[in-house]
Amino acid sequence: MSRRNSLRFGNSTKEPKWPLFLLLALVVLTFAAPPIFGHSSSSFTIYNALQNTSCLGLVALGLGLTMIVGEFDLSVAGTYALGGMVAVKAGAGSPFIGILAGVAVCVVFGLIQGVIIAKLGVNSMAVTLGGSLVALGIAGTIGDNKSQSYDNYDVGIFLNQQIGTFFSVRILIGVAAFVAVFLLMTLTNLGRAMRATGGGRRASRTAGVRVDAIVIMSFGASAGFAGLGGVLQAYGTSTATSNPGLFPLIFAVTACLLGGIGLAGGRGGAVGIACGALSLALLSEFFSTVAAPQYVTGLVTGLLLILVTAAASPLVLRKWNESRARKAMQEASMPQTSSDKQSISIGE
Amino acid sequence: MSTSLSTKSMVNLQSASTAKKITVLVTVIFIALLLFGTLTTDGFYSTENFKAIINSAALVGVIAVGMTYIVISGNLFSLSVGTTAAVSAMTFLWALRFGMIAAIVITVAFGAVVIGLQGLLVGSTGANPIIVTIGAGALLEAMATWISGGVSVYPPADGPSYAFLYNPLFGVPFPVYVFIVVVIIGELVIKRSKFGRGIYLMGESPRAGRTAGLPTIALTTGAFVTAGICTAIAGILLGAFNQSGTLTSTGTLTVDSISAVLVGGTAVVGGRGSVTRTAVGAILVAAIGDMLLLRGYSPPIQLLALGIIVTVVVVLSYLNSGKGSRS
Repeated sequence: MSRRNSLRFGNSTKEPKWPLFLLLALVVLTFAAPPIFGHSSSSFTIYNALQNTSCLGLVALGLGLTMIVGEFDLSVAGTYALGGMVAVKAGAGSPFIGILAGVAVCVVFGLIQGVIIAKLGVNSMAVTLGGSLVALGIAGTIGDNKSQSYDNYDVGIFLNQQIGTFFSVRILIGVAAFVAVFLLMTLTNLGRAMRATGGGRRASRTAGVRVDAIVIMSFGASAGFAGLGGVLQAYGTSTATSNPGLFPLIFAVTACLLGGIGLAGGRGGAVGIACGALSLALLSEFFSTVAAPQYVTGLVTGLLLILVTAAASPLVLRKWNESRARKAMQEASMPQTSSDKQSISIGE
Repeated sequence: MSTSLSTKSMVNLQSASTAKKITVLVTVIFIALLLFGTLTTDGFYSTENFKAIINSAALVGVIAVGMTYIVISGNLFSLSVGTTAAVSAMTFLWALRFGMIAAIVITVAFGAVVIGLQGLLVGSTGANPIIVTIGAGALLEAMATWISGGVSVYPPADGPSYAFLYNPLFGVPFPVYVFIVVVIIGELVIKRSKFGRGIYLMGESPRAGRTAGLPTIALTTGAFVTAGICTAIAGILLGAFNQSGTLTSTGTLTVDSISAVLVGGTAVVGGRGSVTRTAVGAILVAAIGDMLLLRGYSPPIQLLALGIIVTVVVVLSYLNSGKGSRS
């Protein structure tokens, strides 16, 4: 694909701005609202949110990459568990070997799923549902069906050590991953190729995008980032759990949808995912600051996920595009025919 | 495991027949593995063990019958059935204070509404069914914790006796009879009624269905309502068997029921499959779990086995449907 590409899929080559505003709103909420309930937030709240985002945010980053190319990796909660468990088991001697093993196993796992999805054209949700069970099965088998502690506590202390007011090594690793993806997607053709793949596969292939390679790579990256998140979680808390439940997946999907990555594919980027993940982490910090019961977080998370999924649904997108098209027509104040209207709504 | 052999992809006969050959091969390997595994497992071929298998197949099977409707309608799966079954069990035990009939009616209505609403959302907006049901599961779990105060629900001390719901009748556990009845009704409705035929048509091609004037919103909602009714029935049996209702009793119900549908050979892409196939699938899944348990394998190994089976079946399902070749 050339730099000056005539193939444009909607106006989707840029990241939307609103996730940034959402994040800003959440920061304000986190500091302005707790005093009303007789609590207060501090810089530690931000640090906590970042600590959580460093693990679950990486899961969101991985899932988001598959969503941009128009697929969906349901297995991220599985690879999250797998990465952590492999790292704890393989890293008994050296944490570096643990990290390497945890991430490598997950990348290979993701690549296999990617090959099945890209080469056979199988629905990615169905494949990764099976993949999720396989990953959890392997994690549970090597973890003896229970949580495994990591005895090298120094690693956890090192990872969680506060650097400045807001950072720790763990957070910086997470930030580095996001920055790397951002740079790769903006400085190279990769981001464009990924969004093109998600926007229209056949057209992209015709335009010379190596669609299969892009899809396979995004699943490898997805599992790798989810695995890295699991490794950081396991080392940071000195424990790997063999079954984390659906929460990492729920967090990741919600973060991606809040971050402007549609389910249809072709939109979004690392900045949006980071904003979505941070917003969600701040929201959960807000609830713990005001000492809300555990189920409140569950209520809000579940409701939020349903709402953002409905907001990203084909019907709502179509209505939104139609209303935008109508507005544009009114501004141009040109007589419109129904066929014009149709051609615009098809381009979503 | 034998995925529907009636291939409709006449476009590429070559690949269709290859897909058929692969399917037959995989099915043969699967049956050989199952036979070898069961024949070499001590105590597998005994009346007692068969009873245990059919009993555990019954609970999963009832849910899987409902799941079949969702899969055939072309809406993939629901990931909230496990939680809904557990909350249904809690609802049933709580509602026993109003009498047996009332408790059953309340619970079934509860399941139908909870899962039906998810279907309504999916059908009317085209929202992704898997994500909607994940969110709904989380929401339902949180609401159940909130309302129950996070403690187990026990039946009222002076309530009606519900022992018949789990006691054997003529030597066979009661849930097995429920399973058989649900399968028969489920099969009749999806094969013989206008509603059932609509679900097949819509699953085959949603666009063609809409063009042909099928009420897609109503059909999708109906498929989910059916799943809700089946899940609630399973929840009643679950609650009666455990004699208490907790959220942790979901176990692997969701995954097992999805596996039962797929192993039975209902196409993951929708439009093809049947409730009878699912019944066979439920028994196979239960037999595999039972065999692994008897051989001393831990639950994660069972999860791993199910995961591999699900992945293989999904791939075969796509190869046979001709929908997979995306260009």
